[in-house]
Amino acid sequence: MSGGPPKALPSTGPQSLRDMPHPLAGSSSEEAVGGDSTPSPDLLTARSFGDKDLILPNGGTPAGTASPASSSSLLNRLQLDDDMDGETRDLFVTVDDPKKHVCTMETYITYRITTKSTRVEFDLPEYSVRRRYQDFDWLRNKLEESQPTHLIPPLPEKFVVKGVVDRFSEEFVETRRKALDKFLKRITDHPVLSFNEHFNVFLTAKDLNAHKKQGMALLTRVGESVKHVAGGYKLRNRPLEFAAIGEYLDTFALKLGTIDRIAQRIIKEEIEYLVELREYGPVYSTWSALEGELAEPLEGVSACIGNCSTALEELTDDMTEDFLPVLREYILYSDSMKSVLKKRDQVQAEYETKLEAVALKKEERPKVPADVEKCQDRMECFNADLKADMERWQNNKRQDFRQLLMGMADKNIQYYEKCLMAWESIIPLLQEKQEAK
Amino acid sequence: MEQATPDPERLWQPAPLEPLSHPDAGLESMVGEETKGARDEGPGDGTMTENNFSLKKIEISVSEAEKRTGRNAMNMQETYTAYLIETRSVEHNDGQSVLTDSLWRRYSEFELLRNYLLVYYPHIVVPPLPEKRAEFVWHKLSADNMDPDFVERRRIGLENFLLRVASHPILCRDKIFYLFLTQEGNWKETVNETGFQLKADSRLKALNATFRVKNPDKRFIELKHYSDELQSVISHLLRVRARVADRLYGVYKVHGNYGRVFSEWSAIEKEMGDGLQSAGHHMDVYASSIDDILEDEEHYADQLKEYLFYAEALRAVCRKHELMQYDLEMAAQDLASKKQQCEELATGTVRTFSLKGMTTKLFGQETPEQREARIKMLEEQIKEGEQQLKSKNLEGREFVRNAWADIERFKEQKNHDLKEALISYAVMQISMCKKTRLGVQMLRSCM
Repeated sequence: MSGGPPKALPSTGPQSLRDMPHPLAGSSSEEAVGGDSTPSPDLLTARSFGDKDLILPNGGTPAGTASPASSSSLLNRLQLDDDMDGETRDLFVTVDDPKKHVCTMETYITYRITTKSTRVEFDLPEYSVRRRYQDFDWLRNKLEESQPTHLIPPLPEKFVVKGVVDRFSEEFVETRRKALDKFLKRITDHPVLSFNEHFNVFLTAKDLNAHKKQGMALLTRVGESVKHVAGGYKLRNRPLEFAAIGEYLDTFALKLGTIDRIAQRIIKEEIEYLVELREYGPVYSTWSALEGELAEPLEGVSACIGNCSTALEELTDDMTEDFLPVLREYILYSDSMKSVLKKRDQVQAEYETKLEAVALKKEERPKVPADVEKCQDRMECFNADLKADMERWQNNKRQDFRQLLMGMADKNIQYYEKCLMAWESIIPLLQEKQEAK
Repeated sequence: MEQATPDPERLWQPAPLEPLSHPDAGLESMVGEETKGARDEGPGDGTMTENNFSLKKIEISVSEAEKRTGRNAMNMQETYTAYLIETRSVEHNDGQSVLTDSLWRRYSEFELLRNYLLVYYPHIVVPPLPEKRAEFVWHKLSADNMDPDFVERRRIGLENFLLRVASHPILCRDKIFYLFLTQEGNWKETVNETGFQLKADSRLKALNATFRVKNPDKRFIELKHYSDELQSVISHLLRVRARVADRLYGVYKVHGNYGRVFSEWSAIEKEMGDGLQSAGHHMDVYASSIDDILEDEEHYADQLKEYLFYAEALRAVCRKHELMQYDLEMAAQDLASKKQQCEELATGTVRTFSLKGMTTKLFGQETPEQREARIKMLEEQIKEGEQQLKSKNLEGREFVRNAWADIERFKEQKNHDLKEALISYAVMQISMCKKTRLGVQMLRSCM
C-alpha cells in the first residue's frame, strides 16, 4: 500500500487462520461465558477454522451437542448445503491489523485482508493484501453492478461527522474492522457472490487502483441485461411472496430503528448514572477518614462501589461496540434489499408490459418474440436468485440476532456477577468484630 | 442552671415493677412484634444495660398513623397526622404481652418531649426525631408531608425514637417520658408546667456565636469537630445517593420501552418470535423492579439520616460543655476582679480603673464609713462568688464525667448501628444483583 511510515495501531497482531475463531461465532466463544451457561450447540461456535473435522459433509453439528431434530441444527445443515453443495469450505477470508497511514494529502487506515483458498479461481493458496475503506466501497459498487439480482451485504457507514466521532480512535477503528470483516465473510459464504471476479481481484491484486482504472467488467448475462432495464414500467401484480418480503422489511427496519434509539437512550442514562456513582463511592472514603472502628468497613464500601462503577462502564462500552453496530448494519441491509426488490419489480413490469404489447398486436405470429422471452428469462432468474438469497438472509439474520441478544444477555450477566462478587466480598469485612482496645 | 443529675421528681417507677436489683438499670424495651417494618435491629438489643433481674418488660410501638383535622391555636382548620402509641407489658417468663396504654400523639408533641429532654439532660446525647420535612428527595419520591410513604417512614422513625429513649439507661426513667406514653390529655400542660422553656439556655441555639474559652476539655473540642465533619459528610452522602437513585430510576424505566417494540417485532417473525417475546417480557419485569429496589434503599437512607441528626445532638453536648466552661471562666474572672477591688480599697492603692475611683478623684474622696461599707459588700460578694465558683466547678466536672460516659455509650451504639446498616445495604445490593441476574439467565435460556 502507498503511504508514509504507517503508524501502527495496537492490533491483534498476526494470527494464523487456525487460531482465529469463525467470525459468526462471535465473541462469546472466545472467553468463558459466565459460570453457569454452556455454549449452545446452535451457535456456530463449533465452526472454527481449524476444525474442519467438525463440519461434517452432510452439514451435521458436532457430536454430543444438539439432537438432530432441533430446528437450529437443521438450519445449519440447510445453510451448509446451500453454500457448499455438500463440500467443505474452501475459502477463508479475514480482515485484521488496522494501520494508520499519514500522507501529505490525507490520513487514512488500511486493513490487512488474508485469504486462504483451494479454489481454482485463485492462483495461489494464500494471499495477504492491504485495503482501505474506499476499496471496500468500490467492491460493493462493483458487486451491485455485476450481481444486481442478488442481495449484497452492507458496508458500515461511509461518512462520519468530523468532530463528533474520532475516525482514528481505537474503538471506532475496531468497530469498523469487525463490520468490514463481516461484509467479506458474508460474500465468502455466498455461493454466487464468492465467485465474482471483482471479489477475486479485491482479495488478490497487489495494486487494486490499477484494476479500478482498467474498469474490467465481465458481467454475467443476466447482470448485463438487468443493468440496462429502463425504469418507468408499471407493475401489475406483485407476487405475494415479494410483497410480503417488502412489508416485512419495512416493519423490520422500523422496529430496529426504534430499538436503536432506545439503546442509545439507555447508554446515555447509564453514563449519567455512572457520573453520580463516581461521586458517590468516594464520599464513603471521606467518611472513613473520620472514623475509627468504622474506617475499614466504610473504605470497603467505597471500593465496592468503585468496582461496580467500572463494571458498568464496561457494560456500556460493550453495548456501544457490539450491540448498536449490528442494529445499524441490518437497517442498512434492509434498505439495500428494498432497492433490489424494486429492481425486481421493474424487471417484472418490463416483462409484463412487453407481453401485453405482444398480445395486443394480433398480426404477430403466435410464437413469443425473442426479446419478450429474454424478459421472462430475466424475471425468472431474478426471482429465483432473490428467493434463494432471502432464505439465506433470513437464516443469517436469525443467527446473528440470536447471537446478539444472547451476547448482550451474557454481558449483562457478567456485569451482575462482577457486582455480586464485589458486595459479597465485603460482607465478612463488615461483620468483622474489632479487637477490644 | 440545669442539673446534671436527674431530679428525683422527674424519675418514675411504675407500680407493677419489682424492685430493681441494679441501680442503673432502666426498663428494658423491645421492638413490638406487631410492628411490621420496624427496624430489625432494635436499639433495645441489650447493648446498653445489663439486665439480670426479673422484671416486666415494656414494649413500645407506634402502630398506626391517621389523618386528622382540627382547629389550631388561631382557630383555623388544619390537617395533621396523629400516631397511635401502644405500650405493652410483657411477662418475662412466658412472653405474653398485655396492652397497658394506648394513646394518640402528633409530631409536635414528640418535638415538645424532645425539647424538654434536651433541657433537662444536657449531658446526654438525646436521640433525634425523624425529619420534619422530607429532604434529600430524589424526584420520584414525594416531598409532601401528607404522602403515605412519607407518613409510613415517619411512623417508623417515631417508633425508633421512643425505643431509643426507652432503652437509654437514664432517659428511660424520666417521668415526663412516662407520662408521654401513658397520659393522653393534659400532658402538654404538665410539660409546660415544668418551666423547662425558661431553663433553656438560649445560647445553645445560637450556633454561630463564639465563646472564647481558655481551658476547654480537649476531648470535647475534638468531638465537636468530629460531629461537624460527620454532619457534613453524611449530608453529602445523602445528597449524592438521592441523585444516584434518580439516575438509576431513569436507566430502569427506559428499558421498559423495549417491551413494546420487542413484542411488535416478534409479531412479524416466525422462528425468532418466541425469543423476542421473552425478551420484551423480561424488559417489562426489569423496568418495574426498580420501585421496590429504591423503596428498600430509602430505608437505608433513613438509617443514615438518624445519625446525621444524632451528630447534631452530639454537637449540642459539646456546646453545653463549652458554655459551662465559659460561665465558669467568667465567674472566676469576675471573682478575681472583685478580690482585687477589695484589696485596693483596703490598702488604699488604686491599681485598677473603676468609675468609683474616677468620680472620687473628680468629686473628692469618700468617707471612711462609705469605704468600709463598700469593702464589706465586696467581701460578701467574694464569699458568695467563691461558693458559686466552687459549685460551678463541681457541676462542670460532673457534667464532663457524665457526658463523657454517655458519649462512650453513644460511640458503641453508633459503630454497631452503622455497621448493621452497611451490612443490610450490602445484602440489599446482593439480592438485587441475584434477582436481576436470574431474570437475564431465564431470558437467555428462552432464546
